[in-house]
Amino acid sequence: MSQEQAAAKQQKRNAHIDWQTILVNGFLIIVGLLFIFPVFYALMTSFREPGYGLTKEIIPRVWYFGNYDRLFNYGRFPRYVLNSIINALGGAVLTSIVAALAGYAFARFEFWGKRMLMFFVLAVMMLPQITNLIPLYKMASDLKLLNTYIVMIVILGGYGVPLGIWTMKGFFESIPVALEEAAAIDGASPFQTLWRVVIPISAPGLLATFLINFVYNWNNFITPLFMLTKTEMKTATVGLYDFQHALEGNQDELLAAACVIIMAPAIALFIGLRRYFLEGMVEGAVKG
Amino acid sequence: MRQKKIYPYLLVAPAFIVMTLVTLYPTLYSFYLSLNRVRRGALEFVGLKNFDIILNSGDFWESLKLTLIFGVFYVGVTLAFAFVLALLFNRGLRFGGVYMTLVFIPWVLSEIVSGVVWRWMFYRDYGVLQNLVGPLFGGETLMTTATGAMGIVVAASVWRATAYVMLLVLAGLQTIPEEVYEAAAIDGSTKWQAFWGITWPLIRPTTLVTVVLLSIESVNAVGMFLAITQGGPGRATEVLSLHMYREALQFFHFGYGSALAVVMFVINVALGAVYLRFLQRDNALAG
Repeated sequence: MSQEQAAAKQQKRNAHIDWQTILVNGFLIIVGLLFIFPVFYALMTSFREPGYGLTKEIIPRVWYFGNYDRLFNYGRFPRYVLNSIINALGGAVLTSIVAALAGYAFARFEFWGKRMLMFFVLAVMMLPQITNLIPLYKMASDLKLLNTYIVMIVILGGYGVPLGIWTMKGFFESIPVALEEAAAIDGASPFQTLWRVVIPISAPGLLATFLINFVYNWNNFITPLFMLTKTEMKTATVGLYDFQHALEGNQDELLAAACVIIMAPAIALFIGLRRYFLEGMVEGAVKG
Repeated sequence: MRQKKIYPYLLVAPAFIVMTLVTLYPTLYSFYLSLNRVRRGALEFVGLKNFDIILNSGDFWESLKLTLIFGVFYVGVTLAFAFVLALLFNRGLRFGGVYMTLVFIPWVLSEIVSGVVWRWMFYRDYGVLQNLVGPLFGGETLMTTATGAMGIVVAASVWRATAYVMLLVLAGLQTIPEEVYEAAAIDGSTKWQAFWGITWPLIRPTTLVTVVLLSIESVNAVGMFLAITQGGPGRATEVLSLHMYREALQFFHFGYGSALAVVMFVINVALGAVYLRFLQRDNALAG
């Protein structure tokens, strides 16, 4: 669409605010509010007085802000949060580095077996994670690595690799080769080119891969639930699962506070850096 | 020159080591485990006995049926919602970004967080949605009925997945140039005709891929079930993935659990093969 056409269309749109626009916007506002209602509900519940977790009113009659304090003295919740941060961060860093290197190779080089390897990546992407939990547990147990950070980081990091490769490949392909050729002419080694030229330019792609994986790992619940048996190694999501059984129906306000703590970083990152999330998802999914 | 030849292999090596370690090897290992009985970490080879037990187990067939029911509703409803939203977002709304953020929030929430809140919303007497929807079903506490519990998990899963699928459909819609619609409008075709004549044929490939991806997800979905119903009431929502999970983690039947995992794996591969077929037809691999 040419610029004049776009301008004309915009003008037409501004000229008369028709009932259709109002209807569509109204509908989307309602849908949007319904979609975030559960978040609001959890937030409101977390501000209720101890013992008044669930009532018929959504907004608390008496506001109480002490539940977060209580939560951080309840069980080992602070430790769970720390574990979540370590696992999610470690996994996302591992995914980003490993996927970027492979994505770069696929985007820039022709080499024997490339098509086969790319097919392998797609195939691995299709393999279910849940069916691998038993063997992974057995492997970790045989290696005496059960309940360690390193196992969680490698598993979570590894899960993100196939999609990460695809995303990074797409990003690298959108960068002109000319810059790298110039660097090579200036006498830079392949590694220097990668480190000094390619990585800085592909920062948005790297950030997208990192963010998507960080949030995914932070939220992951089944893998740590299956793999971690020691209390002090549990993540916040597994802790919440335990709390659900212990607190639902009697201390819902405490349970709600835990929900809010787990939701907050993911929502904040998404709202603040939405562009990277959406670009990364489209890049990884549609082209792959 | 030799160095240049190895370079791409050096770049892809770490990725393939990690993928082999956490996906390929475990998959093969689960095949092997499925032929064994695992007791206190020690393996005892039993051949195909686990599969024999599975195929003659009423629990297995029941859980497979539940997975299928869940899958049909999950895929269908998610796709319908995603389509409606994508078509609306494709109009280039002034506040599109704000609405997009709102509908995407569920996607960035953990399944267990979602589960906790959805359980509250259907809590007896106090649940907001229970009080809203319950009367339509004769005032029953929906969480305690087989259909109700499954319906709640479907609703919560759809709520979480819609935005992502909407994004995929939207990306497909945006590849269609505006001029095509303008030409159609000049030819006097209605919006309905334009949708079935232009939009649908062009986004059909995206839609098919999305259906396959959602189907795969529905087979492997376990988090929402664990967080909302734990398979209950009774075993009314114990889908295949949850059945496997419980056999393995609660009863430590690693061999039998692995055999169930192999069955799930076969279903996944069948669906995955369809997916790769679609991709190859679009020639995505050539790029």
